[in-house]
Amino acid sequence: MKKFVFILLLVLTFTNCEDVIDIDIPSEEPRLIIDALIKVDTSLLFQTVRVKVGLTDAFFGEVAVTDLKQITITNLGIDPTFFNPGFVVLLEVEPGVYQKEVSNSFLLTQGELIFQVDHEDQLYLAKTYFIPAVAIDTLIQGEGTSLDGGQTEIITTITDKISRNDFYLFDFDFNEFFLSKDDFYRGEKYEFSYLYDRVIKPGQKVDISVMGIDRAFFNYMNLLIEQSKSDLDIFATPVATVRGNIINVTDIDNIDFYDNVDQTNNFALGYFAVVQEFKKSIIIE
Amino acid sequence: MMYKTAYFKILFFLLYSSIVYTQENFTISGIVKEASSNESLIGVTIVFPELKTGVTTNEYGFYSITLPSGTHTLQISSIGFKDIVQKIDLNNNLKLNFTLKIFVEELEEVVLTEDVEKINIRKPQMSVNALSVETIKDIPLVFGEADVINSILLLPGVTSAGEASTGFNVRGGATDQNLILLDEAIIFNSSHLFGFFSVFNPDATKDVKLYKGGIPSRYGGRVSSVLEVFQKEGNSKEFKLSGGIGTIASRILLEGPIVKDRAAFLVGGRVSYGQYFLPALDIDNSASFYDINAKAHYRLNEKNKILLSGYFGRDSFSLDKNFTNTFGNTVVNFRWNHIISDKIFSNLSLIYSEYFFGLELDLLGFNWDSNIRQFNLKYDINDFKSDKLQINYGFNNIYYVFNPGTVKPLDQNSDILEEQLTKKYANEFAAYVDIEHYISDKFSMEYGIRLSLFARLGQDDFNLYMNDDPVIFDPFLLTYLEAEPIDRVDPPSGFSSSNGTGISDIYTNLEPRISASYRFNPNTSIKASYNRMAQYIHLLSNTSSPTPLDVWTPSGPYVKPQILDQYALGFYKNIKNGTFTFETEVFYKDIENRIDYIDGANLIANNAIERVILNGEARAYGLEVLFKINKNKFKGWLAYTLSKSEQRTPGRTPKVDNGRSNRETGINLGQWYNTPYDKTHDIALFGSYDLNKKWKLNMDFIYQTGQPTNYPVGQFEFQGLIIPYYGLRNEERLPDYHRLDISAKFVPKKRVFRKLQSEWVFSVYNVYNRKNAASINFRRNVDTGANEAIQTSIFGIVPAVTYNFKF
Repeated sequence: MKKFVFILLLVLTFTNCEDVIDIDIPSEEPRLIIDALIKVDTSLLFQTVRVKVGLTDAFFGEVAVTDLKQITITNLGIDPTFFNPGFVVLLEVEPGVYQKEVSNSFLLTQGELIFQVDHEDQLYLAKTYFIPAVAIDTLIQGEGTSLDGGQTEIITTITDKISRNDFYLFDFDFNEFFLSKDDFYRGEKYEFSYLYDRVIKPGQKVDISVMGIDRAFFNYMNLLIEQSKSDLDIFATPVATVRGNIINVTDIDNIDFYDNVDQTNNFALGYFAVVQEFKKSIIIE
Repeated sequence: MMYKTAYFKILFFLLYSSIVYTQENFTISGIVKEASSNESLIGVTIVFPELKTGVTTNEYGFYSITLPSGTHTLQISSIGFKDIVQKIDLNNNLKLNFTLKIFVEELEEVVLTEDVEKINIRKPQMSVNALSVETIKDIPLVFGEADVINSILLLPGVTSAGEASTGFNVRGGATDQNLILLDEAIIFNSSHLFGFFSVFNPDATKDVKLYKGGIPSRYGGRVSSVLEVFQKEGNSKEFKLSGGIGTIASRILLEGPIVKDRAAFLVGGRVSYGQYFLPALDIDNSASFYDINAKAHYRLNEKNKILLSGYFGRDSFSLDKNFTNTFGNTVVNFRWNHIISDKIFSNLSLIYSEYFFGLELDLLGFNWDSNIRQFNLKYDINDFKSDKLQINYGFNNIYYVFNPGTVKPLDQNSDILEEQLTKKYANEFAAYVDIEHYISDKFSMEYGIRLSLFARLGQDDFNLYMNDDPVIFDPFLLTYLEAEPIDRVDPPSGFSSSNGTGISDIYTNLEPRISASYRFNPNTSIKASYNRMAQYIHLLSNTSSPTPLDVWTPSGPYVKPQILDQYALGFYKNIKNGTFTFETEVFYKDIENRIDYIDGANLIANNAIERVILNGEARAYGLEVLFKINKNKFKGWLAYTLSKSEQRTPGRTPKVDNGRSNRETGINLGQWYNTPYDKTHDIALFGSYDLNKKWKLNMDFIYQTGQPTNYPVGQFEFQGLIIPYYGLRNEERLPDYHRLDISAKFVPKKRVFRKLQSEWVFSVYNVYNRKNAASINFRRNVDTGANEAIQTSIFGIVPAVTYNFKF
């Protein structure tokens, strides 16, 4: 619903000029970044869980990699046994990338999933539940428009499930994302059009996927997509600190309540989510 | 309740202590009109110099004053008109109607003694700015168009969010906190074409007044200011046609008698040439507007007059035919002026107004229409008790229907389901009394009280939440989240939910208003005022860019009314008999329950807006200085404002004890932050010089501290997206804003048609081509892979020519 604004990038092009300017901007201490969006293909038995970590820098600087002492995921729905302890430890495969092959039953067993990271003796924690999605029915290439002298258009169709309130994240490849919620098509077939910010060469294969997400992650991605865009978007909300769900819990002793109000600056950037993903590809003509 | 009783006692004491008659008194009353058109004149001063007293005409040209019997000199004056000086033998009640003739420059011997734009030293009313239509037409603006809203931006304490932004901000208040009245009807959006034009057609405008503080109790419902605009009533003597051809829009106005001297009409229209904003001609964007003003009046007899007026305006903005946004106001207004006695004037208004906002989205296959409708019944009485005392009282009832949106598929192929977002209904009632009281020669007061009541009425699908909290706080992540409703009910009017909060709750507010003036001498005075005001409907807008996206929402169980307390103190001086005037004011205001939005709140087609809103508070304070020059050939002013405007939303107090601390951080960690309309320094300079009979030169200069904004404190990467991330809200500022505009008005000799009067206006906006930042955005350049900051500026230098005519 919200993201029809992707077509509005040229809204204020009657404006006389856009200039790249030099500007002094503030900066703060480097902060831990964790990209832990775990996409699950439920038709498989095993799954590669891959997490990227890094450190922030000033806006005109470079994002740096960092390393962790430990990184684990625990499923509280699994009764720990010797053969199935209910948690997995991820291992570094290249600088800043941690990975592990896990069985899908570990991720799909109903239960709260706990993500823990030890970075420079600071303990970070996040919690989530697995969120299901629906498959992409069809992908059709549209005629596109002449906006900006030509853009590629993809028409996507899904069939929503009536039994639940769904939020979807579509990955249109090339770091382009689209968010949708089923408020206006609950239980119905939904067809929508996506216009790429660029022209895609004929013959190129484009991988498109849909993920099921929860409201909190929907809100988070919404902010990320908005803030990663540079153009004047007339429906953009004011910029905000995009707090994800990964919190520094080193000084939180009461695990039941997690009252963190006194430590407002104690968080990592990024998000931990475990989502069902359906993929489909299309060759651009 | 104690203070209320005490307040009433003081009020009645003040009222009755002065009504002590010692001599036989008679009343002079009547209407003041303009000679060539019979247009009634507002704010004309009728002075009795020997008695050191006087009165001004009301919004319908009526005046009444009660004086001791005897022979008195009466003097009537108004800017641009010849004075009338007359001796009167007052030994019975008199009905005196006056017609004023337009002041023509040849008559140099007539000296202007009063001036609507001069400070009224004696009146207790403070913080008010009046602008004559003549001045408005002299102010050079972008595209050479005269405009009411863009002119008031040159006054102290008034700013806007920048070029291409809608509305205006008064004393650090938001745009939805301005009560905008067009012929007594409330207008919801005052802008056309992203604020380049306002909804007021300058040709049809008669009088403009802006109240920034000390707001009299007859006004209410908005907490920041009152902009009151009256349109002309129509020429009942002869037909007149006037108009103008401009660079982006043209206008025409026809007025004339229906029944000579008794009834007249006025019809005006403006239309813009849509495709102006298309520098890149291959792009199929357009932005356009049109509006129509229509008015008729009929003077039934000496005591009764009826007026019918209408306004209809639409803006349309489309992008590549995929997206069309249409919005506009519709107003129909019936008024009945009835002179009850020679001391009592009454006006009854029946007003229907609608604000429409629609989006059409081809790509997503639907359109979304929203509107707010208002049925307003208003009855106001001016009781001119004596020359020392005027009592105004009345009531006002507004019934609202809010339609937050009807979502409709565009065609049969669309997969979008038709959906009506829940309509909301409300009623706002207010009654007021307002007393203007000249206690002594030096001391005068205006005091009053307004009682306002606001009730939500029955509706469908009213959401109920756990613990009545539509917004939940996550004490772990420190973010606010939308709560899921636990139930949906269809409450009738008077419904109350089990735990006491229901939509039947009526908000009641007593709003005291008081201003006082002490005059040291005829040219120097000080004034002080306090006013409390309540606002029950709110504009939801949290966009950072200039957008006309307007969704209004009423107060209710989850959204509290905004309550303002404002204090102001001022010093006023006339120098050289009013050739120079100097005024300075300080103000402090404090608003409870200012709406704030949780981070990332989405307001479009949101059926449960209460889930993204929290009530916070706002405050503003500042110093304003205005220095005016009023010479024969040179007029102008310098306005300076030093001010601060900020808001905060601390964490809520826990309602339920569940063993946890339940503390919250609040929005922006509960800290005060600059509102987007916080402009520390605001300087405006305006000058107008009559070079000769043919040429008139005008200039204005504006300097403002840059608008608060955010710069990223760092960047991070998530799923391949590079995201700048930000600290607390509005801690940085855009570069300072300044520009200079000039214009020259040329009146050619009358040749072609003897009756045709015409003029050419040549203007240059932003003379030194300053690139003022409308926004600064941060992004990664796709080609170079480097991060960069992009400044967007709207206008460089803009020359324009406008041709105006009248015959």
